[in-house]
Amino acid sequence: MTSKDFSKSRIAHKNSRVDLSKPLNFTFDGTNYQGFAGDTLASALLANGVKIVARSFKYGRPRGIIGSGAEEPNALVQIDVGARTTPDLKATQVELYDGLVAGRTSGWPSLTFDLKSIGGKFSRFMPAGFYYKTFKFPVKMWPLYENIIRRAAGYGKSPIEADTETYDHKHHHVDLLVVGGGACGLLSALLAGRSGLNVLLVDDQSELGGYLLSLPYMNIGGLNAPTWTTKIVDELCSLPNVTLLSRTTAFALHDMNMIQAVELMQDHLPHSARNAALRRERMHRIRATKVVLATGAFERPLVFGNNDLPGIMTASALTTYFNRYGVACGNNVVIMTSNDLAYQGAADLAAAGIKVTLVDNRENINPEWAAKFKQLNVQIYVGYGIAEAVGSTTVEGVQLVKLDALKNVVTGSGPFVACDVLASSGGLSPTVHLFCHDGGRPQWDESRLAFVVSANGRADSGIYCAGAITGVFALQEGLAKTKDTVAEMLNSLGKTMGASGLTLTTDEIAVTPARHIFHVPDGKNGKGAKAFVDYQNDVAVTDIQLAVRENYRSIEHIKRYTALGFGTDQGKLSNVNGFAIAAEALGKTIPEVGTTTYRPAYTPVSFAALAGAHVGDTFEPRRYTAMQNTHETYGSGTTELEPVGQWMRPWYYPKLGEDIHAAVNRECLATRNSVGMLDASTLGKIDIRGKDVREFLNRIYANSWTQLAIGKCRYGLMLDETGMVMDDGVTACISDTHFLMTTTSGGAARVMTWLEKWHQTEWPELEVYMTSVTDHWATAAVVGPKSREVLAKLCTDIDLSKDAFKFMDWCDGTVAGVPARVFRISFSGELAYEVNVDASYGDYMWNALLEAGSEFDITPYGTETMHVLRAEKGFIIVGQDTDGSVTPFDLDMAWAVGMKKPYSFLGKRSLARSDTSRTNRKQLVGLLTEDPNFVLKEGAQLINSSDTTPPVPMLGHVTSSYYSAFLGRSIAMGFVIDGLKRREDATQNTVYAWADGKAVKVQIVSSVFVDAEGARHNV
Amino acid sequence: MFNTSQFNPVMQSPLHHFGLAAKQEAANSTKGVWANEIPLLGYISLRGNAQNTAFTKAAKQALGTALHTQPCSMATLSWGSILWLAPDEWLLICDRTQRPILQQSLETSLEGIHSQVADNSGGFTSVLLQGKNANDVLHHCTVYDLNALAAGKVVGSTFGKTSVFLHKQDDGYKLIFRRSFADYIWRYLERSALTYGFGIATLTSKAG
Repeated sequence: MTSKDFSKSRIAHKNSRVDLSKPLNFTFDGTNYQGFAGDTLASALLANGVKIVARSFKYGRPRGIIGSGAEEPNALVQIDVGARTTPDLKATQVELYDGLVAGRTSGWPSLTFDLKSIGGKFSRFMPAGFYYKTFKFPVKMWPLYENIIRRAAGYGKSPIEADTETYDHKHHHVDLLVVGGGACGLLSALLAGRSGLNVLLVDDQSELGGYLLSLPYMNIGGLNAPTWTTKIVDELCSLPNVTLLSRTTAFALHDMNMIQAVELMQDHLPHSARNAALRRERMHRIRATKVVLATGAFERPLVFGNNDLPGIMTASALTTYFNRYGVACGNNVVIMTSNDLAYQGAADLAAAGIKVTLVDNRENINPEWAAKFKQLNVQIYVGYGIAEAVGSTTVEGVQLVKLDALKNVVTGSGPFVACDVLASSGGLSPTVHLFCHDGGRPQWDESRLAFVVSANGRADSGIYCAGAITGVFALQEGLAKTKDTVAEMLNSLGKTMGASGLTLTTDEIAVTPARHIFHVPDGKNGKGAKAFVDYQNDVAVTDIQLAVRENYRSIEHIKRYTALGFGTDQGKLSNVNGFAIAAEALGKTIPEVGTTTYRPAYTPVSFAALAGAHVGDTFEPRRYTAMQNTHETYGSGTTELEPVGQWMRPWYYPKLGEDIHAAVNRECLATRNSVGMLDASTLGKIDIRGKDVREFLNRIYANSWTQLAIGKCRYGLMLDETGMVMDDGVTACISDTHFLMTTTSGGAARVMTWLEKWHQTEWPELEVYMTSVTDHWATAAVVGPKSREVLAKLCTDIDLSKDAFKFMDWCDGTVAGVPARVFRISFSGELAYEVNVDASYGDYMWNALLEAGSEFDITPYGTETMHVLRAEKGFIIVGQDTDGSVTPFDLDMAWAVGMKKPYSFLGKRSLARSDTSRTNRKQLVGLLTEDPNFVLKEGAQLINSSDTTPPVPMLGHVTSSYYSAFLGRSIAMGFVIDGLKRREDATQNTVYAWADGKAVKVQIVSSVFVDAEGARHNV
Repeated sequence: MFNTSQFNPVMQSPLHHFGLAAKQEAANSTKGVWANEIPLLGYISLRGNAQNTAFTKAAKQALGTALHTQPCSMATLSWGSILWLAPDEWLLICDRTQRPILQQSLETSLEGIHSQVADNSGGFTSVLLQGKNANDVLHHCTVYDLNALAAGKVVGSTFGKTSVFLHKQDDGYKLIFRRSFADYIWRYLERSALTYGFGIATLTSKAG
């Protein structure tokens, strides 16, 4: 590693924003350098004379820094190391801090020599679309090609360590959001703030001022630009109703003026100054009544031969590095321009003693500037263009050509001019992205040579535009129009504007017309040096012309064929040049060609910022029951949880050394042989009241509720309009006007909405109200032959005897001294009681039952054992054995459908459709393998034969499959076409289950594997 | 054998496992956000037709006040508060010991009148949020415009990926939410508040 001395490129510029008393050390690509507080990585690299920062994507050509902000296409760098490392940041947007470690993201094996550059010499064989054309054959070679292409394309590297920093989101509701902290944005915020609006201003830079930071000699209302900016910012800071956010990029504008912006909160600080308790980035979600877009513009470079040589940049970047950062990018500068905008910066450089040569494409230049430059002794080549830049790894000079006064053709030769830096200006392209994100379109303004938006064209939706975005590039005119626009905006809110004390005149030189030129001709008819339009994607003028020759007509297609405007810069420099060059090739006007679509995000946003606080233990809501603490600490404290919807339910409770199979076998046997206990609190519970509750249930459920007696429960299937099973559960009759419905754990909210929807929209005449009481009740299902004895120890006020408290009865009483509602229902086929108490007592009740059951070795079991026990009885799980395409008849559950009810029920009519009513649909059946130890794969396809030569008709699939410890063999359920009939026919009851490359012979049987007579629960 | 006198039922609030009571201290200026659970209040869900005078009269008789029908309004009473949740739905919050009396009084008054009274005391909890950054921390959690939340207004809005009911309480806020989401909501609140300094404040009034 070598260390470089303080660069002679740095000049002590009295208005620069860099503090030369605060040196900072940093490294780039393994070399130590020094910069200063206020630098960006780009300005510090330029000050150190670093010209090559990247190698190009396709040809491996050396590339340097072109821009000074979000438009930069080349200088993509890897910042920081380890968990904090961030790939592909633009060096122009990275604020320098002491100890910053930056790496290159392209160039292999090094920046000075890139293997791809050898291929680059053959670049005429790599035209647009060359992947599609070249790598198609032979097909089997594609994986190799792809590997090489991916490596060639790869820029930086994502961190592989877990992120140790935190991020969050913040919601804002403001009267006015101003996007952009340049002169017009600041003025908008001030005028609105003075009128009392609640104003938020966001700006992506480290300090406010926008391009004024690059033009410190501009005079506004008698003040120089820095003084004017400070005065405005000071007043803004004094207003309590105004909030200013720097380092905050508004990257998306959505419907209803919801703007998303990301704030970089700590990345500009040295590691030692970062506060781990604070966020790294914050996403602001801003809902604004009114929006002022004062997003400014980016300068377009002119397109000419070898325009990608390091040392070539935009004129505004050259000016910015000089005035804002005190960096002279060269000592011998050539600036080519088609307009007046480059002159001020050129004058500033010349006044500082730097040799400047101007090349103006126009036949007539602004006489005021001509006189000024004569004074400064700057030579101007009027009516010339640069045919090509010359140099091996950096620019060394330019070859000029004489241009026709009107047509963009070469009429004569010109001199060679030596230089060490070359800048160009093709005019400004307004930053219209946000305006366009929700459907707005910019309009071509030939007088401004720009796609512009109207200041009040979207005032109806609250969006106003101010400054350069509207195509008004002169400051005085921009400020005056901003004032008018803000007045109009305030007027629409019934506010009056106070502009006292603001003089908005400037000392700008009046602007003369620019030349309509984008690609500077070289007179070589396409045979000259490569002229790049899009640097990041290596798209040259010839690529766009080729796309047009190959018949691409839409600019969207030309974009995709050539890759124009893709990448992390999204064509901020290149797009408008590309549209213009395509227009010329197509023989159309620029507005006829139009623009591609501007989509969020304006600049890249980190996944971490998008995730915000939705990470770790707050990634998703995890719902817990009242017994969660006891579940977690039970036994060896190794309880496994399973997500069921958002609920986290105990899955199984392993003892030390047990795997899931051992634990589930033990839990199943304990329950069938003695007593087990399941936390059933997660089931949805809906309290339904009103005189029409029975009729309401008759319509909602497939079966009938007219006769269900008080004190009784009934199982019901809920169908959707198409007759398909959507939920199931047990509903209890509390009184003639009061029922308590249970739903599946994952389906509760859906069912609640479903009930309200039908009641409110179709049957408002039915007198019922419903309320979710899911969270109110904690439920313990005590299951097994000893369950009655366990409950009896805690419950003396309910007669638990067989005939007094029958299967499918419920009773109110007290359990362990707590008011309880006990249901004698069973999802396992065993004698079972579900004890419900106020969830505040849930943990107490669960522990009381554990203690009471200890003499019977009561065994808590989780959802896996619950699944096995219910499958042994052939009970379905909605969502596992059904998938929204299953009728009750498909489930062989005709008993749960009351076709004779006087009023229809949801889904009834659909059950009569020809497809739903045919008898040879897929039907749920039991499945047994020949090998009792072989457990089928859930999801295995069921087929007719072990011959799997395609085509193989698919009969259905396995929906549930387990090992039953109680039966000592595997059991399964699944769908088979015509399965119910095939089950009864010994010649038809064999199918094969296809999974893992094997077809396993399976017999179709009844899905009730245990206790078909119901003797076990009927005790 | 158990006998009834052996039973010593213990209630646990939804945030019981965070051990907040042991962590609480008097709120002070060292932290920007202070919060605590107001545990184990009584919650009753009440539904009925506000246009039905039989219902409103009976409800008024039981509650000692007329049910307010202004959307998103709330009433603070000697026994607790009534939150308007929907045109036909209110949430009554009271001391836990008051709940059976209040519920019985409603059930009796509303006998034969189309309505619904449901005890939801096990299903909800409340959190008090205070401190100079209470407003900021909520803006990290909810999309609701808190500037539009006047005193006496109660709204249901987002909280992270779930929802809460929310109203101003003294110089801070009260959040009311479901038991099963309590763990998530508390963790989300704590994560959002950490940058401001987050403390567990001793409760000054029981019902909040």
